[in-house]
Amino acid sequence: MNSRLARIGVMSAVLAIVLLPIYWLVSTSLKSNREITQEGTLYPHVPTLDNYIRLFTEKQFGAYLTNSLVVTFFSVAIALVAGAMGAYAIARFRLPFAMERKVGLFLLTLRIVPPVVILIPVYLLMLKLGLLDTWLGLIATYTAFNITFCVWMMESFFREIPVDLEEAAMVDGDSRFGAFRRITLPLAAPGLAATAIFAVLVTFNEFLFALALTATPRAMTMPRGTATLIGRIDTDWASMSAAGVIGALPIVFFALLVQRHLVRGLTMGAVK
Amino acid sequence: MAKGGTQSRKYRLQGAGLDLALPYLMLAPGLLIVLGVLVYPLWDGLRASTEAYRYGSVVANVGMQNYIKLWSDPQFLNALWVTVKFVALSVTFEAILGFALALFCLREFRGIRLLRTILIIPMVITPVVVAIVFRLIYASDAGMLTAISEWMGGGQVQILGSPVKAFFGLVVLDVWEWTPLMFLILLAGLQSLPHEPFEAARVDGAGNWRVFADLTFPMMRPVLAIAIVLRTIDAFGTFDQVFVLTRGGPGEATRLVSIYGYDTAFKFQQTGYAAALFVTIGLVVLALAFSAVRLLRRVDAS
Repeated sequence: MNSRLARIGVMSAVLAIVLLPIYWLVSTSLKSNREITQEGTLYPHVPTLDNYIRLFTEKQFGAYLTNSLVVTFFSVAIALVAGAMGAYAIARFRLPFAMERKVGLFLLTLRIVPPVVILIPVYLLMLKLGLLDTWLGLIATYTAFNITFCVWMMESFFREIPVDLEEAAMVDGDSRFGAFRRITLPLAAPGLAATAIFAVLVTFNEFLFALALTATPRAMTMPRGTATLIGRIDTDWASMSAAGVIGALPIVFFALLVQRHLVRGLTMGAVK
Repeated sequence: MAKGGTQSRKYRLQGAGLDLALPYLMLAPGLLIVLGVLVYPLWDGLRASTEAYRYGSVVANVGMQNYIKLWSDPQFLNALWVTVKFVALSVTFEAILGFALALFCLREFRGIRLLRTILIIPMVITPVVVAIVFRLIYASDAGMLTAISEWMGGGQVQILGSPVKAFFGLVVLDVWEWTPLMFLILLAGLQSLPHEPFEAARVDGAGNWRVFADLTFPMMRPVLAIAIVLRTIDAFGTFDQVFVLTRGGPGEATRLVSIYGYDTAFKFQQTGYAAALFVTIGLVVLALAFSAVRLLRRVDAS
């Protein structure tokens, strides 16, 4: 009985700590600026959707959302294809001078280097190529980051799949690549999904490079666009909180939808 | 027969003709993109870090001057100190809370699914939005703390205006956002431990504390270490949350190295100096990671 009470206590405490801040964000987004700063109400007394409407009519959030979706889709899709092939080559082939292992280690090292290290040179590169403030500039950057991650994740998934199945397919006349595409890839689908989900999450949420590489609604992503509302002396809390909800909603919804895969992606690598 | 078998197996694995080029063809697209967008910039960053810039263009090659200057730059040293404090405090709290919660959730009970689902939310929300959430909590006029305080008859609550409170406010944000990840990793680790030693200990009459100190903790040490290393590396590069929450202020109280580097590059246009700063941070993190890996190997070996 006592332990049951303790459980309920801990459960409620955790739920409150996680959910109260989110409640406050949503609740603020439904208030007018006057109600927020002058009345300090604990819940919206006069609920309004004006803040949300303003985001899309006056503050270009439609463009930010489009940019985010396009950039995330292409950088994850390209990275998945290139990353899966690379991971397969590293997992399966034995090249001269153990080249495949060296490439794998090299990509892993690149993954450990914090992204800030190349912030400035990537900015200079995009400046030189005229890719500042474009989709292509962001897509190229995010794709590269995602590839190192995809290769690292997918390699271990491919290793778990027995070689015999591919050999059987090749005995039956499939080419090596055909065996990869028709046998191994479908078997690795759950791993591919976990990898894709995690990449989508990280890419959609990325801020630092979006901050440095974009400057107008032409290419600004959601997090970058949201940050434009911040930093003035007089903070527009109403718009900011509505932007927070809009910015977080797609990704939270997506994460809850694919929860099971997500947890695997997050904890993989740490626990063998 | 057996010999023919191995030979055909070898033939199949090594391939012939187009199959011989296949590994390279499969590695090429990924490698090319990584070389162009990660490795070239990395190299170019090293070059930039030895140059002096004025208004965005190179004016002189200064060799290692930028690197040497860093260590007598009080603003950089302060940023480094703030970052180390921030990382150490946040990760310690996250490890303790996450471990406690994981131990607590190890025995299946009703509601654990809900708990796990809810705990995913903080770490998937866009970091920028997490910072907005905490600005809305801390703000002296629109904040949740102020609203609650006023509701209970108190006055305005000031957090982000005071250096000490703003710093701890940032630590609280990080703990809120990342304890769930610690929890999930440690829970997965706990669930993968073998059952036998625990049953044996129970049979021998060991109490909860003894089981934890003699079995659970030692067996969990590798997972715990990896989780802490991953979080430490990640926390070292924290940028988004600070940029939105405090922009490094008040004064320099929450100015992490990433923020200082960003301002140096984009606000003060000292591109070369900022590049040297970021390379230095990269080296620190790599050194951290490698020494952690070596430490882990030693723990494994003993």
